[in-house]
Amino acid sequence: MRIQLNARNRAYQFRATENQRILYAGLAAGINLPYECGSGTCGTCKARLVSGEVDDLWPQAPGRKYLRQPGEFLMCQGAARSDCSLEVANFVYYMDAGACLPSLGRGAVRNARMLTRDVIGFSVALEAPCDFDAGQFMVMQVRNVPGYRGYSMVNYERSARRLDFVVKKKPGGGVSEWLFNGNIENNPVELFGPLGTATFFPAMAKSILCIAGGSGIAGMMSILERACQEHYFDQYSGHVFFGVRSMKDAFYLAELSRFRIEFSRKLTVTIALSDEDMPGDAAQRYPALAFDKGLVHEVAARHMKGKYHNMRAYLAGPPPAVDAAIRMLLLEARLTTDNIRYDKFS
Amino acid sequence: MARKFVCRRADVPANGMAEFDAGEGLKVLIASSGEEYFACQATCPHQDVSLAEGLYDGSVLTCHQHLWQWDIRSGSPIGLAEMPLDCFKVQVDSDSIYIDTPGALNVGELFFGIREGTLAQINALARREEYQQGGTLYEVGDPADDFYVLESGRVEFLIGRDERTRPAGFMLRKGEVFGWAALLESQPVRIAKATCFERSTLLRINGKRVLKVLEADPASGYLVMRRLSSLIARYLASSGAR
Repeated sequence: MRIQLNARNRAYQFRATENQRILYAGLAAGINLPYECGSGTCGTCKARLVSGEVDDLWPQAPGRKYLRQPGEFLMCQGAARSDCSLEVANFVYYMDAGACLPSLGRGAVRNARMLTRDVIGFSVALEAPCDFDAGQFMVMQVRNVPGYRGYSMVNYERSARRLDFVVKKKPGGGVSEWLFNGNIENNPVELFGPLGTATFFPAMAKSILCIAGGSGIAGMMSILERACQEHYFDQYSGHVFFGVRSMKDAFYLAELSRFRIEFSRKLTVTIALSDEDMPGDAAQRYPALAFDKGLVHEVAARHMKGKYHNMRAYLAGPPPAVDAAIRMLLLEARLTTDNIRYDKFS
Repeated sequence: MARKFVCRRADVPANGMAEFDAGEGLKVLIASSGEEYFACQATCPHQDVSLAEGLYDGSVLTCHQHLWQWDIRSGSPIGLAEMPLDCFKVQVDSDSIYIDTPGALNVGELFFGIREGTLAQINALARREEYQQGGTLYEVGDPADDFYVLESGRVEFLIGRDERTRPAGFMLRKGEVFGWAALLESQPVRIAKATCFERSTLLRINGKRVLKVLEADPASGYLVMRRLSSLIARYLASSGAR
């Protein structure tokens, strides 16, 4: 099927196959269509159907509440049944040369293990290698659970054969229930991506600040992995703030210690505990890490005062935590908006 | 220009902001910098997010969803923002806050900044017309006597005839001008069909009579012609012209 898309600035043409989500078809063609979650929740990818027929693959998608006008639909849930002409209100551009083009991939679950009482880590062994930028995410579909969910990659490498993920248990969440209840080892999954703009590139030549709550640490691990591979912290400083409720909820502390020990001159890692004072043995067990009590954005604000020169911040975690961090970075730290990066895909 | 009551001074937190309904579906954000009050549209032009939930530091307003920012005094976009904000002139009368809601002509790019007397004459030529959703303004081949300024709603354009039509864009900002062939010589007929995509209010103005008014004020006329030529240049560069 031929899709004609009229954006605010210009028109684009691309092809979509039967049952292929129009958003995914456009992104795979290198057109940076508007989206955030890519999975039916945020409403960002809404478009208006001017002519042609579109099937709605998920009529109950929560993002439909953002639809206002007749003919509007979510491109992430719409599949063309005929040639279509669409209209979006946004400015739309082609992706930059060198961007990792999103595509559909398949793989199998490996090495699933509980990291805390409600956080699971697992890998997906891919059938074909995949390129992504540090900080990006994939949307994932599993057997017998309709729809996709977005998860950030933890690892970083070019031509990756394996993607690592970390997921917090969400009662009632379809994919989450599937991950936590039962034996998922070797189960097939389908992925579309990479997606997301909260990406890190060494060429940006700025110090970095990562503020993450809970499983939001995933994308930060990927950013740290890439930065450490490139010895980025020989030149620029890095500050990581990882918020959890208590030590029982913390994970990746050994991995974070390893990054910190390797680049101790310019990299700092602080664990923010919101619900408990620092246990006496934490400093002994993880001497490379700092610990502090409070919400993660408050702890970051305390430790970072006066250190925001030439800084780019990455944020991830529960939406209230991200909003609080944005507020702090704009009003207190006075960072400019282009230096505050996050993806609201959950 | 119409004066509208928005709220009491006590309703706006000092150095903060709040959203109000100014009647007729107009939602207004009032921001206080301590001494001064500012008014603008209450919803982000990007994605229906309430700007009252955003951030305001006394001069810059930020939408918390995607960090679009504007200068609260002018509504000019800063940084990531792709569109300006509609701002209103504020009047404080003892403890009440009022706004002036300007006519579409005053905010539209074509007539912005021309001499006030000339603008008033053009305003006097304008007829306000309301159209229901689906209402047709003109068809291909109709005489191009009048041009239109969008006050509210949305207008869609189609090029071609009968079965072989294709969309050629849409107008959705207050003050946008279309049907400007009426301001050109030797362009007697419409080359596109214009219909209302939703219920719309438009100012309809006779082109020849406006040209007469502008001839009497060449400085303003020059400004309008300069803007008109960039409007045409933009149209020629768009997909609609191909």
